[in-house]
Amino acid sequence: MTSLVTASNVSKRYGDVRAVDNVSFEIEKGRIMGLIGPNGAGKTTLLKAVLGLTDFDGQLSVLGLDPFRQRKQLMQNISFIADVAVLPRWIKVTQLLDFMESTHPNFSRKRAEELLSRTKVRKDAKVRELSKGMVTQLHLSIITAIDAKLLVLDEPTLGLDIIFRKEFYGNLLSDYFDGERTILITTHQVEEIENLLTDIMFINEGRILLDSSMESLPENFVELTTSGEDADKARRLGPIHERDVFGKKVMTFEGVDREHLARLGEAHTPSVADLFVAKVKGAAA
Amino acid sequence: MDPKWNEDVPIYRQLRDRVVAMILEGVLGDGDALPSVRNVAAEYRLNPLTVLKGYQELVDEGLVEKKRGRGMFVNDGARLQLLKDERRRFIEKEWPQVVATIERLGLDTAELLEQVTQKSDAGDKND
Repeated sequence: MTSLVTASNVSKRYGDVRAVDNVSFEIEKGRIMGLIGPNGAGKTTLLKAVLGLTDFDGQLSVLGLDPFRQRKQLMQNISFIADVAVLPRWIKVTQLLDFMESTHPNFSRKRAEELLSRTKVRKDAKVRELSKGMVTQLHLSIITAIDAKLLVLDEPTLGLDIIFRKEFYGNLLSDYFDGERTILITTHQVEEIENLLTDIMFINEGRILLDSSMESLPENFVELTTSGEDADKARRLGPIHERDVFGKKVMTFEGVDREHLARLGEAHTPSVADLFVAKVKGAAA
Repeated sequence: MDPKWNEDVPIYRQLRDRVVAMILEGVLGDGDALPSVRNVAAEYRLNPLTVLKGYQELVDEGLVEKKRGRGMFVNDGARLQLLKDERRRFIEKEWPQVVATIERLGLDTAELLEQVTQKSDAGDKND
Protein backbone atom coordinates (compact mmCIF):
# COMPACT_ATOMS: atom_id res chain seq x y z
CA MET A 1 0.00 0.00 0.00
CA THR A 2 1.10 3.52 -0.62
CA SER A 3 1.35 5.95 2.17
CA LEU A 4 -0.26 9.30 1.48
CA VAL A 5 0.83 11.03 4.65
CA THR A 6 4.00 10.19 6.51
CA ALA A 7 4.94 12.01 9.71
CA SER A 8 8.11 11.34 11.63
CA ASN A 9 8.90 13.06 14.89
CA VAL A 10 6.70 16.03 14.18
CA SER A 11 6.55 18.63 16.96
CA LYS A 12 5.06 22.06 17.28
CA ARG A 13 5.58 24.40 20.21
CA TYR A 14 3.70 27.53 21.09
CA GLY A 15 6.03 29.14 23.61
CA ASP A 16 6.39 26.61 26.40
CA VAL A 17 3.41 24.56 25.28
CA ARG A 18 4.08 21.49 23.18
CA ALA A 19 0.91 21.40 21.11
CA VAL A 20 2.23 18.45 19.13
CA ASP A 21 4.94 16.40 20.78
CA ASN A 22 7.14 14.14 18.68
CA VAL A 23 4.42 12.48 16.67
CA SER A 24 4.94 9.80 14.01
CA PHE A 25 2.28 8.10 11.90
CA GLU A 26 1.27 7.10 8.39
CA ILE A 27 -1.98 7.29 6.50
CA GLU A 28 -2.40 4.97 3.55
CA LYS A 29 -4.32 5.65 0.38
CA GLY A 30 -8.03 4.80 0.41
CA ARG A 31 -8.35 4.88 4.18
CA ILE A 32 -10.71 6.84 6.40
CA MET A 33 -8.68 7.87 9.41
CA GLY A 34 -10.28 9.27 12.54
CA LEU A 35 -8.18 11.51 14.74
CA ILE A 36 -9.82 11.50 18.14
CA GLY A 37 -8.95 13.73 21.05
CA PRO A 38 -10.39 16.19 23.54
CA ASN A 39 -10.29 19.93 22.94
CA GLY A 40 -6.75 21.20 23.15
CA ALA A 41 -5.22 17.80 22.44
CA GLY A 42 -3.31 19.08 19.42
CA LYS A 43 -5.67 17.82 16.70
CA THR A 44 -6.02 21.11 14.88
CA THR A 45 -2.33 21.94 15.15
CA LEU A 46 -1.45 18.58 13.65
CA LEU A 47 -3.93 19.13 10.81
CA LYS A 48 -2.49 22.58 10.19
CA ALA A 49 0.94 21.02 9.84
CA VAL A 50 -0.43 18.42 7.39
CA LEU A 51 -2.08 21.20 5.36
CA GLY A 52 1.03 23.36 5.32
CA LEU A 53 -0.62 26.09 7.37
CA THR A 54 2.04 26.09 10.06
CA ASP A 55 5.73 25.32 10.31
CA PHE A 56 6.89 22.52 12.57
CA ASP A 57 9.91 20.47 13.63
CA GLY A 58 10.45 16.99 12.21
CA GLN A 59 9.58 15.43 8.85
CA LEU A 60 6.23 15.44 7.19
CA SER A 61 5.39 14.28 3.70
CA VAL A 62 1.89 14.73 2.27
CA LEU A 63 1.23 13.33 -1.22
CA GLY A 64 5.01 13.22 -1.52
CA LEU A 65 5.30 16.96 -0.88
CA ASP A 66 6.64 19.07 1.94
CA PRO A 67 3.41 20.77 3.02
CA PHE A 68 4.95 23.97 4.36
CA ARG A 69 7.31 24.60 1.47
CA GLN A 70 5.15 23.22 -1.36
CA ARG A 71 1.77 24.32 -0.12
CA LYS A 72 0.60 25.68 -3.45
CA GLN A 73 1.14 22.37 -5.23
CA LEU A 74 -0.35 20.50 -2.30
CA MET A 75 -3.53 22.57 -2.28
CA GLN A 76 -4.43 21.38 -5.79
CA ASN A 77 -4.89 17.85 -4.54
CA ILE A 78 -6.21 18.38 -1.08
CA SER A 79 -9.43 19.81 0.27
CA PHE A 80 -10.30 20.91 3.74
CA ILE A 81 -13.13 22.01 6.01
CA ALA A 82 -11.92 23.77 9.14
CA ASP A 83 -13.73 23.59 12.46
CA VAL A 84 -14.17 27.33 12.15
CA ALA A 85 -15.55 26.90 8.66
CA VAL A 86 -16.24 30.47 7.68
CA LEU A 87 -17.65 31.64 4.41
CA PRO A 88 -18.02 35.37 3.87
CA ARG A 89 -21.55 36.28 4.97
CA TRP A 90 -22.20 38.68 2.10
CA ILE A 91 -21.28 36.27 -0.67
CA LYS A 92 -23.92 34.69 -2.91
CA VAL A 93 -23.80 30.99 -3.61
CA THR A 94 -23.28 31.65 -7.34
CA GLN A 95 -20.42 34.05 -6.57
CA LEU A 96 -18.81 31.40 -4.41
CA LEU A 97 -19.01 28.92 -7.27
CA ASP A 98 -17.51 31.55 -9.64
CA PHE A 99 -14.67 32.09 -7.20
CA MET A 100 -13.96 28.37 -6.81
CA GLU A 101 -14.06 27.84 -10.56
CA SER A 102 -11.57 30.62 -11.17
CA THR A 103 -9.13 29.69 -8.39
CA HIS A 104 -9.15 25.92 -8.13
CA PRO A 105 -8.05 23.82 -11.12
CA ASN A 106 -9.70 20.62 -9.84
CA PHE A 107 -13.06 22.15 -8.96
CA SER A 108 -16.09 20.92 -10.91
CA ARG A 109 -18.87 23.50 -10.97
CA LYS A 110 -21.25 21.00 -12.53
CA ARG A 111 -20.68 18.59 -9.69
CA ALA A 112 -21.17 21.29 -7.04
CA GLU A 113 -24.43 22.42 -8.65
CA GLU A 114 -25.66 18.84 -8.82
CA LEU A 115 -24.88 18.32 -5.14
CA LEU A 116 -26.49 21.61 -4.17
CA SER A 117 -29.65 20.81 -6.11
CA ARG A 118 -30.33 18.04 -3.60
CA THR A 119 -30.29 20.51 -0.70
CA LYS A 120 -32.47 23.45 0.18
CA VAL A 121 -29.63 25.86 -0.54
CA ARG A 122 -30.82 28.21 -3.29
CA LYS A 123 -28.21 29.38 -5.74
CA ASP A 124 -29.16 33.05 -5.46
CA ALA A 125 -29.07 33.02 -1.64
CA LYS A 126 -26.43 34.84 0.35
CA VAL A 127 -24.48 32.96 2.99
CA ARG A 128 -25.99 35.10 5.75
CA GLU A 129 -29.48 33.94 4.77
CA LEU A 130 -28.60 30.29 5.31
CA SER A 131 -28.98 28.26 8.50
CA LYS A 132 -25.91 26.72 10.08
CA GLY A 133 -26.83 23.31 8.72
CA MET A 134 -27.27 24.74 5.22
CA VAL A 135 -23.90 26.49 5.38
CA THR A 136 -22.34 23.11 6.18
CA GLN A 137 -24.18 21.55 3.24
CA LEU A 138 -22.89 24.32 1.01
CA HIS A 139 -19.39 23.81 2.33
CA LEU A 140 -19.52 20.05 1.80
CA SER A 141 -20.91 20.45 -1.72
CA ILE A 142 -18.06 22.76 -2.67
CA ILE A 143 -15.39 20.72 -1.00
CA THR A 144 -16.54 17.39 -2.44
CA ALA A 145 -16.75 18.91 -5.92
CA ILE A 146 -12.98 19.23 -5.77
CA ASP A 147 -11.28 16.20 -7.19
CA ALA A 148 -8.84 15.82 -4.33
CA LYS A 149 -6.67 12.93 -3.21
CA LEU A 150 -6.97 13.85 0.45
CA LEU A 151 -9.93 15.38 2.23
CA VAL A 152 -9.35 16.81 5.68
CA LEU A 153 -12.35 17.47 7.91
CA ASP A 154 -11.82 19.20 11.24
CA GLU A 155 -14.90 18.71 13.45
CA PRO A 156 -17.12 18.99 10.38
CA THR A 157 -20.41 18.51 12.20
CA LEU A 158 -19.75 20.68 15.25
CA GLY A 159 -22.88 22.57 16.27
CA LEU A 160 -25.17 20.73 13.86
CA ASP A 161 -28.28 18.88 14.91
CA ILE A 162 -28.44 15.12 14.65
CA ILE A 163 -30.31 15.02 11.34
CA PHE A 164 -27.75 17.20 9.57
CA ARG A 165 -24.91 15.25 11.18
CA LYS A 166 -26.18 11.92 9.89
CA GLU A 167 -26.89 13.37 6.48
CA PHE A 168 -23.40 14.83 6.33
CA TYR A 169 -21.68 11.47 6.80
CA GLY A 170 -24.22 9.73 4.59
CA ASN A 171 -23.51 12.19 1.77
CA LEU A 172 -19.79 11.89 2.31
CA LEU A 173 -20.01 8.14 1.76
CA SER A 174 -22.45 8.20 -1.14
CA ASP A 175 -21.13 11.21 -3.07
CA TYR A 176 -17.46 11.37 -2.29
CA PHE A 177 -15.70 8.36 -0.91
CA ASP A 178 -14.84 5.85 -3.62
CA GLY A 179 -12.15 3.72 -1.99
CA GLU A 180 -9.43 5.63 -3.87
CA ARG A 181 -9.69 8.89 -2.03
CA THR A 182 -8.46 9.31 1.48
CA ILE A 183 -10.21 11.09 4.33
CA LEU A 184 -8.82 12.38 7.60
CA ILE A 185 -11.50 13.39 10.12
CA THR A 186 -11.16 14.83 13.58
CA THR A 187 -14.00 14.78 16.03
CA HIS A 188 -14.74 14.36 19.66
CA GLN A 189 -18.09 12.74 18.89
CA VAL A 190 -16.54 9.42 18.09
CA GLU A 191 -19.75 7.35 18.31
CA GLU A 192 -21.12 8.84 15.14
CA ILE A 193 -18.14 7.98 12.98
CA GLU A 194 -16.58 4.88 14.49
CA ASN A 195 -18.23 2.47 12.04
CA LEU A 196 -17.14 4.37 8.99
CA LEU A 197 -13.47 4.55 9.89
CA THR A 198 -10.82 2.15 8.69
CA ASP A 199 -8.20 3.51 11.07
CA ILE A 200 -8.11 5.40 14.30
CA MET A 201 -5.63 7.56 16.19
CA PHE A 202 -6.07 8.87 19.72
CA ILE A 203 -4.26 12.07 20.57
CA ASN A 204 -3.99 13.73 23.96
CA GLU A 205 -1.67 16.46 25.20
CA GLY A 206 0.11 16.46 21.85
CA ARG A 207 0.94 12.76 21.92
CA ILE A 208 -0.48 9.80 20.07
CA LEU A 209 -1.90 7.26 22.49
CA LEU A 210 -3.21 4.81 19.93
CA ASP A 211 -2.67 4.26 16.22
CA SER A 212 -4.52 1.23 14.95
CA SER A 213 -6.71 -0.15 12.21
CA MET A 214 -10.31 -0.59 13.35
CA GLU A 215 -10.11 -4.21 12.36
CA SER A 216 -7.37 -5.03 14.82
CA LEU A 217 -8.98 -3.34 17.86
CA PRO A 218 -10.86 -6.51 18.95
CA GLU A 219 -7.61 -8.49 18.80
CA ASN A 220 -5.76 -6.08 21.04
CA PHE A 221 -8.34 -4.73 23.45
CA VAL A 222 -10.73 -6.50 25.76
CA GLU A 223 -13.12 -5.07 28.30
CA LEU A 224 -13.80 -7.44 31.17
CA THR A 225 -16.72 -7.18 33.58
CA THR A 226 -15.95 -9.10 36.72
CA SER A 227 -16.15 -9.09 40.52
CA GLY A 228 -14.82 -10.71 43.70
CA GLU A 229 -11.88 -13.12 43.49
CA ASP A 230 -11.91 -13.12 39.69
CA ALA A 231 -11.47 -9.35 39.80
CA ASP A 232 -8.32 -9.78 41.92
CA LYS A 233 -6.99 -12.37 39.48
CA ALA A 234 -7.79 -10.13 36.52
CA ARG A 235 -6.11 -7.16 38.19
CA ARG A 236 -2.84 -9.14 38.34
CA LEU A 237 -2.91 -9.34 34.53
CA GLY A 238 -2.37 -5.58 34.43
CA PRO A 239 -5.46 -3.79 33.09
CA ILE A 240 -4.75 -0.36 31.59
CA HIS A 241 -7.88 1.02 33.24
CA GLU A 242 -10.46 0.00 35.81
CA ARG A 243 -13.85 1.45 36.69
CA ASP A 244 -16.84 0.54 38.85
CA VAL A 245 -20.20 -0.11 37.24
CA PHE A 246 -23.14 -1.27 39.41
CA GLY A 247 -20.86 -2.88 41.98
CA LYS A 248 -18.87 -4.72 39.32
CA LYS A 249 -15.37 -4.01 38.12
CA VAL A 250 -14.93 -3.15 34.47
CA MET A 251 -11.30 -3.49 33.37
CA THR A 252 -9.76 -2.69 30.02
CA PHE A 253 -6.86 -4.85 28.85
CA GLU A 254 -4.37 -4.34 26.06
CA GLY A 255 -2.61 -7.31 24.51
CA VAL A 256 -3.99 -9.89 26.96
CA ASP A 257 -5.46 -13.10 25.56
CA ARG A 258 -9.25 -12.84 25.28
CA GLU A 259 -9.97 -16.49 26.02
CA HIS A 260 -7.89 -16.31 29.14
CA LEU A 261 -9.83 -13.24 30.29
CA ALA A 262 -13.19 -14.80 29.40
CA ARG A 263 -12.63 -17.33 32.20
CA LEU A 264 -12.62 -14.45 34.71
CA GLY A 265 -15.84 -12.75 33.67
CA GLU A 266 -17.69 -11.30 30.71
CA ALA A 267 -15.28 -10.30 27.95
CA HIS A 268 -16.29 -7.74 25.32
CA THR A 269 -14.62 -5.47 22.82
CA PRO A 270 -14.71 -1.97 24.32
CA SER A 271 -16.51 0.78 22.45
CA VAL A 272 -14.16 3.36 20.96
CA ALA A 273 -15.40 5.96 23.45
CA ASP A 274 -14.67 3.70 26.44
CA LEU A 275 -11.34 2.74 24.96
CA PHE A 276 -10.45 6.39 24.58
CA VAL A 277 -11.16 7.07 28.26
CA ALA A 278 -9.15 4.00 29.25
CA LYS A 279 -6.15 5.08 27.17
CA VAL A 280 -6.22 8.70 28.35
CA LYS A 281 -6.61 7.81 32.03
CA GLY A 282 -4.20 4.90 31.67
CA ALA A 283 -1.56 7.22 30.23
CA ALA A 284 -2.07 9.71 33.07
CA ALA A 285 -1.75 7.03 35.79
CA MET B 1 -33.46 4.58 11.09
CA ASP B 2 -30.33 3.32 12.76
CA PRO B 3 -29.86 -0.39 13.22
CA LYS B 4 -28.79 -1.55 16.65
CA TRP B 5 -25.51 -3.33 16.22
CA ASN B 6 -24.57 -6.06 18.60
CA GLU B 7 -21.11 -5.15 19.85
CA ASP B 8 -19.92 -8.72 20.11
CA VAL B 9 -20.57 -9.76 16.52
CA PRO B 10 -18.62 -8.05 13.72
CA ILE B 11 -20.87 -5.69 11.75
CA TYR B 12 -20.10 -7.36 8.42
CA ARG B 13 -21.43 -10.61 9.91
CA GLN B 14 -24.60 -8.87 11.10
CA LEU B 15 -25.11 -7.44 7.61
CA ARG B 16 -24.75 -10.92 6.15
CA ASP B 17 -27.34 -12.23 8.64
CA ARG B 18 -29.75 -9.45 7.70
CA VAL B 19 -29.56 -10.28 4.00
CA VAL B 20 -30.02 -13.97 4.81
CA ALA B 21 -33.14 -13.11 6.84
CA MET B 22 -34.45 -11.03 3.93
CA ILE B 23 -33.95 -13.94 1.54
CA LEU B 24 -35.62 -16.40 3.94
CA GLU B 25 -38.57 -14.06 4.41
CA GLY B 26 -38.89 -13.67 0.68
CA VAL B 27 -38.20 -9.92 0.76
CA LEU B 28 -35.35 -10.61 -1.64
CA GLY B 29 -36.25 -13.16 -4.29
CA ASP B 30 -34.20 -15.07 -6.87
CA GLY B 31 -32.45 -12.68 -9.22
CA ASP B 32 -33.19 -9.60 -7.10
CA ALA B 33 -30.47 -7.00 -6.69
CA LEU B 34 -28.99 -6.37 -3.26
CA PRO B 35 -28.90 -2.72 -2.19
CA SER B 36 -25.69 -1.18 -3.50
CA VAL B 37 -22.65 -1.09 -1.23
CA ARG B 38 -22.60 2.67 -1.49
CA ASN B 39 -26.24 2.99 -0.43
CA VAL B 40 -25.90 0.68 2.53
CA ALA B 41 -22.69 2.41 3.61
CA ALA B 42 -24.31 5.83 3.38
CA GLU B 43 -27.56 4.77 5.01
CA TYR B 44 -25.92 3.17 8.03
CA ARG B 45 -22.75 5.27 7.99
CA LEU B 46 -20.53 2.24 7.65
CA ASN B 47 -17.21 1.92 5.96
CA PRO B 48 -17.87 0.56 2.44
CA LEU B 49 -15.29 -2.15 3.06
CA THR B 50 -17.41 -3.47 5.94
CA VAL B 51 -20.43 -3.72 3.65
CA LEU B 52 -18.35 -5.36 0.94
CA LYS B 53 -17.03 -7.92 3.42
CA GLY B 54 -20.57 -8.84 4.46
CA TYR B 55 -21.59 -9.24 0.81
CA GLN B 56 -18.47 -11.28 0.10
CA GLU B 57 -19.56 -13.80 2.76
CA LEU B 58 -22.80 -14.28 0.83
CA VAL B 59 -20.86 -14.73 -2.40
CA ASP B 60 -18.63 -17.33 -0.72
CA GLU B 61 -21.72 -19.18 0.51
CA GLY B 62 -23.07 -19.28 -3.05
CA LEU B 63 -26.17 -17.26 -2.14
CA VAL B 64 -25.31 -14.16 -4.09
CA GLU B 65 -23.52 -13.48 -7.34
CA LYS B 66 -21.40 -10.51 -8.24
CA LYS B 67 -22.06 -9.15 -11.74
CA ARG B 68 -19.33 -6.85 -12.93
CA GLY B 69 -20.31 -3.23 -12.90
CA ARG B 70 -23.92 -4.06 -12.05
CA GLY B 71 -23.83 -5.12 -8.42
CA MET B 72 -24.84 -8.15 -6.41
CA PHE B 73 -27.78 -10.41 -7.20
CA VAL B 74 -29.51 -13.22 -5.33
CA ASN B 75 -28.73 -16.56 -6.96
CA ASP B 76 -31.51 -18.80 -8.21
CA GLY B 77 -32.39 -21.26 -5.50
CA ALA B 78 -30.77 -19.22 -2.71
CA ARG B 79 -33.91 -19.39 -0.57
CA LEU B 80 -34.25 -23.14 -1.09
CA GLN B 81 -30.61 -23.61 -0.16
CA LEU B 82 -31.07 -21.54 3.00
CA LEU B 83 -34.27 -23.40 3.86
CA LYS B 84 -32.44 -26.70 3.41
CA ASP B 85 -29.69 -25.51 5.74
CA GLU B 86 -32.22 -24.23 8.26
CA ARG B 87 -34.20 -27.48 8.13
CA ARG B 88 -31.09 -29.57 8.62
CA ARG B 89 -30.03 -27.38 11.51
CA PHE B 90 -33.47 -27.79 13.08
CA ILE B 91 -33.46 -31.57 12.69
CA GLU B 92 -29.90 -31.90 13.99
CA LYS B 93 -29.81 -29.30 16.74
CA GLU B 94 -33.27 -28.28 17.88
CA TRP B 95 -35.40 -31.34 17.26
CA PRO B 96 -33.46 -33.64 19.67
CA GLN B 97 -34.06 -31.01 22.37
CA VAL B 98 -37.77 -30.90 21.58
CA VAL B 99 -37.93 -34.70 21.72
CA ALA B 100 -36.10 -34.69 25.03
CA THR B 101 -38.59 -32.17 26.42
CA ILE B 102 -41.55 -34.22 25.17
CA GLU B 103 -40.15 -37.30 26.89
CA ARG B 104 -39.32 -35.49 30.09
CA LEU B 105 -42.84 -34.04 30.35
CA GLY B 106 -44.42 -37.36 29.34
CA LEU B 107 -46.46 -35.80 26.53
CA ASP B 108 -48.50 -37.95 24.16
CA THR B 109 -46.83 -37.63 20.72
CA ALA B 110 -49.93 -38.76 18.81
CA GLU B 111 -51.98 -36.03 20.48
CA LEU B 112 -49.33 -33.41 19.75
CA LEU B 113 -49.14 -34.39 16.11
CA GLU B 114 -52.92 -34.24 15.82
CA GLN B 115 -52.89 -30.70 17.14
CA VAL B 116 -50.23 -29.67 14.61
CA THR B 117 -52.17 -31.22 11.71
CA GLN B 118 -55.42 -29.58 12.80
CA LYS B 119 -53.70 -26.22 12.97
CA SER B 120 -52.20 -26.48 9.52
CA ASP B 121 -55.55 -27.68 8.13
CA ALA B 122 -57.22 -24.62 9.62
CA GLY B 123 -54.43 -22.50 8.15
CA ASP B 124 -55.04 -24.03 4.71
CA LYS B 125 -58.72 -23.16 4.87
CA ASN B 126 -57.91 -19.58 5.70
CA ASP B 127 -55.64 -19.24 2.69
